[in-house]
Amino acid sequence: MAPLDTPMPRSRSVSVASIFERFGLMIFLAALLVVAAVASPTFLRPANLVNVLTIAAPLGMVVIGQTFVILVRGLDLSVASLMATVAVLATAFRATTNDAIPMIFVAAIAFSAVVGLVNGWLVAKRNVSPFLATLAMMIILQGVRFAYTGGAPISTLPPGMGFLAAGRIYGVPVNLITLAFLAIAFGIVLHRSRLGREIFMVGSNPTAAFLNGVAPNRVVILCYVICSICAGIGGLFLLGYVGTVSNWVGQGYELDSIVAAVMGGVALSGGRGNIFAALLGVAVLVVINNLVLLLGFPIEMQLIIKGIIIIGAAAFYRTRLT
Amino acid sequence: MTGIVMDLRRNRLMLSYLIVALLLVVLVVAGGFLSDRFLTWRNVGNLFQQLIVLGMVSLGQTFVVLIGGIDLAIGSLVSALTVFLANFLQWRPDLVWVAVPVALIAAAGVGALNGILTVVLRVHPLIVTLGMSSVIFGGTLMYRKEPGGSVPRAFEDIAYANVGGIPVSAIVLVVIFAIAGIWLQRTRSGRNIYFVGGDREAARLNGLPVDRILVMAYALSGLCAGIAAIFLTARTGVGDPRIGAALTLQSITPVVVGGTILAGGRGGVFGTFLGVLLVTMLNNLLNFVNVSSYYQWVIQGLIIIIAVGFHTVRRR
Repeated sequence: MAPLDTPMPRSRSVSVASIFERFGLMIFLAALLVVAAVASPTFLRPANLVNVLTIAAPLGMVVIGQTFVILVRGLDLSVASLMATVAVLATAFRATTNDAIPMIFVAAIAFSAVVGLVNGWLVAKRNVSPFLATLAMMIILQGVRFAYTGGAPISTLPPGMGFLAAGRIYGVPVNLITLAFLAIAFGIVLHRSRLGREIFMVGSNPTAAFLNGVAPNRVVILCYVICSICAGIGGLFLLGYVGTVSNWVGQGYELDSIVAAVMGGVALSGGRGNIFAALLGVAVLVVINNLVLLLGFPIEMQLIIKGIIIIGAAAFYRTRLT
Repeated sequence: MTGIVMDLRRNRLMLSYLIVALLLVVLVVAGGFLSDRFLTWRNVGNLFQQLIVLGMVSLGQTFVVLIGGIDLAIGSLVSALTVFLANFLQWRPDLVWVAVPVALIAAAGVGALNGILTVVLRVHPLIVTLGMSSVIFGGTLMYRKEPGGSVPRAFEDIAYANVGGIPVSAIVLVVIFAIAGIWLQRTRSGRNIYFVGGDREAARLNGLPVDRILVMAYALSGLCAGIAAIFLTARTGVGDPRIGAALTLQSITPVVVGGTILAGGRGGVFGTFLGVLLVTMLNNLLNFVNVSSYYQWVIQGLIIIIAVGFHTVRRR
């Protein structure tokens, strides 16, 4: 459905517009922080800031994956459902000691990879639109999960999961360290490796990529696998933070991850974007969410603001780049 | 040349109609064997009474998909309208004749706004309607968090009325689908939807008011959601801010099952009607043989994948 965009030559001249284009989100975040600090004295307290960042980390992990998929002109609506399903899978071991944590991670990543493989296969090989394929996957995972749990919450978890998700090392949240590690690792893959270049090529022009000896299908499938694995890991960290699987863990993360990525300038038409800018989008989103609460607005206001932001951000980047 | 292409296209659509119709027959026969309550007059009446909600939202989705878009705001819109209707009618039960037109106009207005945002901002409808859905849902929750409100008996009759044993809602549904089908196939303005959905640039070069047609398709989708909400409120008697949440996905299933291609320009309301029948009867039967709603979700997902995979691969 997306029009074939021809890559545009980057303008070298330095103008106000180009500065705004490059650093717009940072300026917006800075302004938001100032507003938050002025509006609520609680905002700048270390406890609140660390809390905000701890909440942001699982979303950040999902956004990394979502970025990969959007870059190849896709969209993954199954991430939230996958997060909850992985969380249920983690409790299925009924493990109470920390020895089980590596096994939980291996199982979660393997399961996520299979889900991503199916998504990618449907999109790349069967030509199913990404939106429908992942929507179907979302509801299938939801059905499997509920059929297994019968709808009841479970809370059998090794204590170490809680530490991974909400604990701190020298005051720094462990999950934030993990996020930074993942962001750097996947950032190198995307922005410094051959695979990354292939992803950008496939995203901006699949035919040209194919003619240049890249196998678009393979690249697309790989992106979906990466996305699902990131979502799976995010699910585990969110589970540790929440402590109980409610079958709806991660609900809303599909919208949030897309909002963050779009705010970060990842183009929905594919082939343009940056992982670290997308993570900046996460920061903006969680600060806004936090601000809504600190200012005493009802929590539902977050939904309204998010809806306006996603349309606005998509329009902003669209008009700027065409 | 174009004649041959048209024939092929029609034949392929015919083929998917045939397959769905065949599945329907299989389902009826299997249902008769599996459950002795499935083919009773009472259940069939029930089933036809339930058709209208899914039928209307799927019809609205069909217009939008035909024109090459998608409407993910349908579920939130239906929820918001049930909340409005039930709470308004609890306050003034005598003002049904005000509540219904207001709901329909508001629904068409929200739909039109989706279309206008898509056209003016040039953002993909997926994003516009996803954002709109979030805004509507948030707004509804700010107003009412829990199901509430009530409707007068006269309003309930909208959903439960019968004429000679046939539910009025089913008659309304068939009539609306027939009008929609004739409009799409036989009138210029209806065919323009196919034209714009098939090749927007060609339609523009041919002097069609593409933007206006797009907005009209989204407004129609909103209007259909409004009609669905009226029947849904009449049946349940309350306004529930979450009742429509599943409808967005459910509205897409019959469309793709009926052979309407997500890329736009191909398909039709007849296929959607068959799809609605198939999905409703399948869920009804699964309830009778005690398959939990959890597995029904899995089955719904599989149906989407199979239907879409089937159509897209054949296209190549």
